[in-house]
Amino acid sequence: MSRFRQLEDFQPEAAHWELLPFRFERLNGKVLVTNMVGEHLILAAEEFDEVAEKRLPVDSALVRSLRAKHLIRQAGDRSPATLLALKTRTRYRRLAESTGLHIFVVSLRCEHSCPYCQVSRQSSDKERYDMSPEMAERGLEMAFRSPSSAIKIEFQGGEPLLNFGLVEEIVRRAERRNREEGRDLGFVIATNLALLTDEILEFCARHDINISTSLDGPADLHNKNRPRPGRNSWELATDGIRRVREALGVDRISALMTTTKASLDRAREIVDCYLELGLHGIFLRPLSPYGFAIKTKNYSAYDAERWLDFYREGLAYILELNRKGVMMTEYFSAVILKKMLTNREPGYVDLTSPAGIGIGAIVYNYDGSVYASDEGRMLAEMGDETFRLGHLATDSYEEIMTSEALLAPLEESFAPSAPMCSDCAFEPFCGSDPVYHYATSGDFLGRKPESDFCRRNTAVFKHLLGLYESDPSARSTFLNWAGR
Amino acid sequence: MSAELTFDTASHTADAIQRAAYRFCDRISIELVSDEAAHRCTLKPVGDASLDALIGDFRTEVLDQVLRERIRAETEPIRTMILAQAFSKTGVVDSRGHA
Repeated sequence: MSRFRQLEDFQPEAAHWELLPFRFERLNGKVLVTNMVGEHLILAAEEFDEVAEKRLPVDSALVRSLRAKHLIRQAGDRSPATLLALKTRTRYRRLAESTGLHIFVVSLRCEHSCPYCQVSRQSSDKERYDMSPEMAERGLEMAFRSPSSAIKIEFQGGEPLLNFGLVEEIVRRAERRNREEGRDLGFVIATNLALLTDEILEFCARHDINISTSLDGPADLHNKNRPRPGRNSWELATDGIRRVREALGVDRISALMTTTKASLDRAREIVDCYLELGLHGIFLRPLSPYGFAIKTKNYSAYDAERWLDFYREGLAYILELNRKGVMMTEYFSAVILKKMLTNREPGYVDLTSPAGIGIGAIVYNYDGSVYASDEGRMLAEMGDETFRLGHLATDSYEEIMTSEALLAPLEESFAPSAPMCSDCAFEPFCGSDPVYHYATSGDFLGRKPESDFCRRNTAVFKHLLGLYESDPSARSTFLNWAGR
Repeated sequence: MSAELTFDTASHTADAIQRAAYRFCDRISIELVSDEAAHRCTLKPVGDASLDALIGDFRTEVLDQVLRERIRAETEPIRTMILAQAFSKTGVVDSRGHA
């Protein structure tokens, strides 16, 4: 049985200090210093020189701040190392909990024809583009092999409501199976809501199913992005959001937006649209470089700088709303702030290292193919099967989880040992995205000085740190977001 | 257009210069030739980048890389010990936290 250690275990043995492992980056005359787990300080350049040259007197205020952030320790002080080990273990705890998110692509069919969509097919050929009950059963078997204590099953498409019968079947079977397993089981349907019926809502209410939908902003923008017969995608989506909130509860639906070139000048309108619909959070995300987005040149329509302007404008407006007492969260910032300001790892697959592919989320495609990520199956739709891990009908859980198609990108993209990332003070806030880098530069690692992933994330980190340091109101909002 | 910079081997390692060069590879192409006394870098701009403006930044980055190298070396034992303690329950670390 463990017991508390003696007080002397935590007393320093000598009155001089020594460095703990840290990394630094220069930021406009100041220096960001981060330790192994992302705890950080921003120092004046002169202060940083004093640290580097060990000229600081042991009783200075800065030494106290540096010790509090575990950037230095008094010689002989053992508790910082113990605490850093504990925090490191906490950061990587998710690795023992793989895989939490299981994506079932129950149909590739969709009644929308969005120009940037990566995968969907406009077809009535159910035989060809719908998942079969047999593949669904094998997918469930695979999902329950995961050691994770929490299993979330997400239904995607195409439009999953086009094969809702299979969704019902999978939910029922998973619940039956879980009576023995006792996992923390959850369900999400990612749908455009155009085909929502009262019967579907009733089923979702009975089985605690959450809804994730797409909303790109005001009607003209959304309908331009998401054409469908009747040109009423926005009307159906917003009506669906209202019905879901009434039937399931206000917190049971979330929306994701896609930023096209037409969105870039309309950040405030998009945020207002979300608020008017009672959605108090938005994810200002850029377009992904996969599938039809590249084929149709949507992806190249704007660069990282243009997206950053859009993000900064949207975030400024959201902070202004929070100052006025209107609760609104920007989710991308919130994920990063949680990593910056707490020891909790939010597990957002694009900002983890090792990458989230396969071990954070895995995809069972309509035809039984298993992919390391949703983006991996999008590449496959373009004819590149690099991230195909196997097939539900022929490969075992062990074969899939130890396949070279999964292990090679995980290992090669691991940020703490990647060129430039291993030196980068932002690395604890960042992640690895082997699929992105493979799609844009042809290898899992990418050359970070040329990577928009790196450019975009670094700029966001700097922006958030700058606001946190200089704006007390933003700081208060950020602490609130990080603490949730 | 190109420029040549020299770094003495007593104060700079080739690794530090290569790490700095990697960080600049989107703006400058750098050829490194070393002998016992010095590392000689030939810098050429990539695209429209202004070489004059980048030379100072590159020198600063090399100095920062030298400092990073020193910090890495100095903190390597405790870093290894922290990671061992974080990931191992096999007795690699004794109960008082020593490696």
